[in-house]
Amino acid sequence: MTRFSDKKIRARNASAWLVPDGDNRTDHRLRGDMRRFADDDEVDIVIVGCGAGGATLMQRLARAGWSVVALDAGPFWDPDADWVSDEAASHRLYWTEPRVITGDDPVPLGSNNSGRGVGGSMIHYAGYTPRFHPSDFETASLDGVGADWPISYQDLKPYYEAIEEELPVSGQDWPWGDPHSYRYSPQPVSGNGEIFLRGASAIGLNARVGPVAIANGRFGNRPHCIYRGFCLQGCKVNAKASPLITHVPDALAQGAEIRANCMVSKIEVGDSGLASGVTYFSGGVERFQRARMVAVAGYSIETPRLLLLSASKRFPDGLCNDEGQVGHYIMVQGAPQTAGRFAQEIRMFKAPPPEVSSEQYYETDPTKGYKRGFSIQTVSPLPITWAEHVAAQGHWGEVLREYMRDYVHWSTLGALCEFLPRYRNSVTLADEKDRHGLPVARFFYSQSDNDTALMKAAQRVMEDILKGAGAEEVMTIDRFAHLVGGCRMAASPNDGVVDANQRSFAVPNLYITDGSVLPTQGSANPALTIMALAARCADHLIAGSRKGQRSQLVGQ
Amino acid sequence: MPFRAPDARAITPGGKGRFPGFDVLDGVEHWDAVTAGVVLARLDPQPEISFFTVTEQATADALFDQLLGQDAPPKIPVLQLVDRRLALGQTDGWRYEDMPEDSVAWRQTLAALDVDAKAAHGERFHELSWNQQGTLVQAVHDAEVWHSLPGSQVWSLWTRYTSTAFYSHPWAWNEIGFGGPAYPRGYKALGVDKREGWEVPDHHSVDPVTFAARVERAKRRHADTSGGNHPVSQGKR
Repeated sequence: MTRFSDKKIRARNASAWLVPDGDNRTDHRLRGDMRRFADDDEVDIVIVGCGAGGATLMQRLARAGWSVVALDAGPFWDPDADWVSDEAASHRLYWTEPRVITGDDPVPLGSNNSGRGVGGSMIHYAGYTPRFHPSDFETASLDGVGADWPISYQDLKPYYEAIEEELPVSGQDWPWGDPHSYRYSPQPVSGNGEIFLRGASAIGLNARVGPVAIANGRFGNRPHCIYRGFCLQGCKVNAKASPLITHVPDALAQGAEIRANCMVSKIEVGDSGLASGVTYFSGGVERFQRARMVAVAGYSIETPRLLLLSASKRFPDGLCNDEGQVGHYIMVQGAPQTAGRFAQEIRMFKAPPPEVSSEQYYETDPTKGYKRGFSIQTVSPLPITWAEHVAAQGHWGEVLREYMRDYVHWSTLGALCEFLPRYRNSVTLADEKDRHGLPVARFFYSQSDNDTALMKAAQRVMEDILKGAGAEEVMTIDRFAHLVGGCRMAASPNDGVVDANQRSFAVPNLYITDGSVLPTQGSANPALTIMALAARCADHLIAGSRKGQRSQLVGQ
Repeated sequence: MPFRAPDARAITPGGKGRFPGFDVLDGVEHWDAVTAGVVLARLDPQPEISFFTVTEQATADALFDQLLGQDAPPKIPVLQLVDRRLALGQTDGWRYEDMPEDSVAWRQTLAALDVDAKAAHGERFHELSWNQQGTLVQAVHDAEVWHSLPGSQVWSLWTRYTSTAFYSHPWAWNEIGFGGPAYPRGYKALGVDKREGWEVPDHHSVDPVTFAARVERAKRRHADTSGGNHPVSQGKR
């Protein structure tokens, strides 16, 4: 059953109709017939990283007739052959090259927040796709904390709408932020979602089903969700949206090339002050791809790292880093996770972890001692992650086993707390080197008092919800989730790395199109916003096609 | 079923569990082949130990039994699963700045555990009684700094590797009632107290006391064997 209005979506992005209808999840012929460029072809743009930001940009530009090469450090996934319905064996989905973490609150990377391969972290994200609120774009003006963006919510709104259609997103009418509706009605909820709704109702909290990037029904050739619960291990069904199936197929059909397993080591900038292409490793061999423009979309750790690795005579402290902005203002969200024990069986491992959420406490509440807020969502840890939750309470040995044997009786909620941007939270280069001989990223993180206050407030609300639903015991673990910032957009080069159109202040033909450009993060999962920003950046590039984007900035 | 003997159904580690007769392996025919491959490999005879030295092997084996409460057969081969992961250098992709890389940290901490054992009892860790071992492990959990390493990060290293190995094994899934791989079958019966036809309910009759009482009992037993307070409040970060 194809909806009539799907035609309009298909006309601008046919990805959902380009994945096969049947038992295969990948059109190998489309990949086999992919256009291929030579290293010394000067392509219109080379994109570093093929996740939420890179893949969206690639699809838009390929549609506009640009010659595009996208390089990704990881594999070009085939969900049938490469992914498993298993926690421990999904290790390969994560960025597991070495990194060093430090600070007062060091943030573990890898499985929780770092992807690798075509599709990026959206391969293993849960699937929540909320919009940011209008207030997120001006927290400095409104609340005296964080930063103002050089763009407003209204600038991004049409792109939110477009990407929500292309993923597509399902959910109830959304009352928070800029109220809006979704194309697909909400998914049925499982035991975990039922508990959240019940508890919310008991304490007078508004909670809604969604927004989740899993169509409630078929979408193009993508089948209905089968509620297997392994969203974080890569969706073998093709039901949960990721760029691998929402933007990559159309990009290939439009003539883009994706080169997988290619680790970019340097952006080359010539005497002209323009980027001329990127140096990368493929199969142990160093190569160079010429390009008229470069877009970096390696996410908050690898994008700053690549800029720092691209130091030159002109940019001795790292590319675009004359003002000391590269790698700074990185944010994670505080993500305390609270579980409650029920006499009934919940079996939270059934159905997708993303089901129900609430943004009732998203905005600053003047009666509270902290600024900004948090959202609350269902999360449904599988056994290994659940063991981590139990072990964090200090349980081990026989007690750990006793708690674990009770798995089917527990329901789990997670909060996303808006941690504020701080200059000191940063990526720099460590002394340690990776196997390419490149210094690895050193990630420093320390929370502020406001951050800590939000964590505690969110924990209290989650405990109230679960007790309201009848939990006889609750336990909470402090965690972090998501990464944004590190090369933020700003009105002036003193405050950020890129301008309102994501063009770097320092190099006129260098763009950054990933989560690292976000100046604030709200308490929303970032994927949708990263894609919307990339789509907006693409419109800007297309509008300026061959009309001076290569030239120097005025006055230089 | 070529991968298990006819009498080897519904195995749980140490014979413990609350879901009598439940065996995730009954569903193998509903799993996709790639997933079946990686999961069934965990039931294969495990390769020889290659990362741990003989000395480290004895200590690690005893430590892993303690951390996971594996005091009776059948045992999940956690030693072999962790050894293979370390041999392959399959890390989580990050390390704390004040900790060496995982492989080095493992060697250092196992050696340090033997140093503690000798200091306290004049014997190596694996030679101590179950209770003596438990006391030493609890001391590591409680330590701010342990042999010049941050105690919480040593604990994080130990529990991350061992929990991942243990709860990746189908016998552990049998014990906790987890349905295991679910592609392409998926789930149909969603909701509180809903079960698929093949799911087995939690059998209260296996151990007819409340959850709270079971946990208290486990804590008492644990306190007896680990010589002290079992932490019940906030854990480590």
